Amino acid sequence: MKKRNSNLTAAMFLLPYGILFTVFVLIPVFYGFFVSLHKWHILSTAPQFVGLTNYRDILSDDLFRVAFLRTAYFVVMTAPLGNMLSLLLAVGLMQDFKGTPVYKVAFYMPVVMTVSVVAVMWRWLYSTEFGMLNYYLGCFAHFGHAVVPGLVSAQSAHIPWLSNPGTAMPAIALMSIWWGAGGNMLIYLAGLKAVPRELLEAAEVDGAGPLQRFWAVTWPMLRPTTLFCMVMSVISASQVFGQTYMLTGGGPYYSTLTVVLYMYQQGFGLYQLGYASAVAYVLFVAVFMFTLLQFKLLAVKR
Amino acid sequence: MSKGKGRKRAISAGSIIAQVAMILGAIIMVAPILWMISTSLKQPTAVLTPQPHWVPNPPTLENFAGLFTKSEEFPVVRWFINSLFISCTVTLLVLLVTSTAAYAFARLQFKGREVLFMVVVATMIIPGQVILIPVFLIVQKLGWFNTYLGLIIPGLASAFGVFLLRQFFMTIPVELEEAAYVDGAGPFTVYSRVILPVAKPALATLAIFTFIGAWNEFVWPLIITNDISMRTLPVGLMIFQGRYSLEYGTVMAAAVLCSLPMVVAFLIFQKRITEGIALTGIKG
Repeated sequence: MKKRNSNLTAAMFLLPYGILFTVFVLIPVFYGFFVSLHKWHILSTAPQFVGLTNYRDILSDDLFRVAFLRTAYFVVMTAPLGNMLSLLLAVGLMQDFKGTPVYKVAFYMPVVMTVSVVAVMWRWLYSTEFGMLNYYLGCFAHFGHAVVPGLVSAQSAHIPWLSNPGTAMPAIALMSIWWGAGGNMLIYLAGLKAVPRELLEAAEVDGAGPLQRFWAVTWPMLRPTTLFCMVMSVISASQVFGQTYMLTGGGPYYSTLTVVLYMYQQGFGLYQLGYASAVAYVLFVAVFMFTLLQFKLLAVKR
Repeated sequence: MSKGKGRKRAISAGSIIAQVAMILGAIIMVAPILWMISTSLKQPTAVLTPQPHWVPNPPTLENFAGLFTKSEEFPVVRWFINSLFISCTVTLLVLLVTSTAAYAFARLQFKGREVLFMVVVATMIIPGQVILIPVFLIVQKLGWFNTYLGLIIPGLASAFGVFLLRQFFMTIPVELEEAAYVDGAGPFTVYSRVILPVAKPALATLAIFTFIGAWNEFVWPLIITNDISMRTLPVGLMIFQGRYSLEYGTVMAAAVLCSLPMVVAFLIFQKRITEGIALTGIKG
């Protein structure tokens, strides 16, 4: 064993990946922090060391505060609702209805699409005048109006989804939930399949209905899966960029300005790479702390 | 859930409601996609109608043909080739570099093996956007701005790939290798003749995820290219929409072109993809 597994052989196997990993992952983690300590114009040859100035500026930057809060708003909308939808779809798939493979494909299909396809698709759905969403909402409104006059305004079908500060972020959140639900659905499905059948049957023998069985048996057993999916959803939602970049560019009135979009604007719009790097690090620390908090709150207690 | 005999009462009102909900849910989930396809097959005058018409009447490929006539301003074919070339190359190279590293982590004895592996795995929790700017600066310093090297190489350092393959290699019985070693084979022969053939399912799963991920990548090609001919389809689609924002038929045709390879790949490999996610916890 010893002779053929020498350090040299291992080095040969590790070398290609090791170089790539060092140059494009490991060094950047530290280099990014180094950059954030500088006034670093994209074309400058001699960046100026400024210490923690960028971080101090971020704390008093109103736009960063807006971006941070709007990102939190997006996370709060998408992570819990998205996970609820994913779990619901997974429970549906667990019933083994006829056609379950088809449902699975249908629910997962959006996940394999790229963000720009999703964005142009939904921009068309959200169109104020000719959008499908407003058309069907109009139908409902019409119907509601006919049943209970005065309950629903007939105007509700002309919602300018993406150009109204109040609706733009919820609209982007809805689109993102649709886009991502299938991914977590499959993880929940694996979690549900791992729940011991005997436990469920024992509960049934004891007279527990489907809902009771879910709350008393499935839900507690599913806790590690839920924790994993929530943590991953929060991490990915906090980095939302493509959707807001494509659909609204952060507007209207900064209502969809997110942290990574702000980082992009600072870094590649204004060429302030030092400041943009500091924004990235603040986001990283915030997400990391929040992840730890989630583990504290949701982790399985023993 | 209840599949036992004597439980035929399962066809209850609740079950019927649940089935209807599933059908409705599936329709709602695919509706935006069908609407995109439907719009892409419509004549320009049939797109903006007060009522949505789901079936294009008459259907036309005009919008798709139109994509290719705009080639001086919007080189759609070039974008398609760029995307295809980059995704294929990234996939092949990721398989190569991650499988050799994973083999070393799984099977070879060397100093610091566990620590190095932990470092690789730990980086998986770092959000990609955090290292976007430093990686950009490094690639720029290497002179790879606006090049295929810049588009391809940084995407190869997949910690996830190493993790996935290493976990799979660990499950392969050591006896298989021992037999080869007894026959006088060296580690490279064992890796290529014994391990890789056995690990085909894991390699295929990684290949599919890598391909979809590379094709769908948006942020990196956006910042590392600015030449119109070096763009990829997802970024090209964004440029396209900027110019033809109100010609929904044309934009939808471009979107269909951009998503078609992924949808086809997904339909072909859907079993492997859905099972791979359950195993690994990643999402496309």
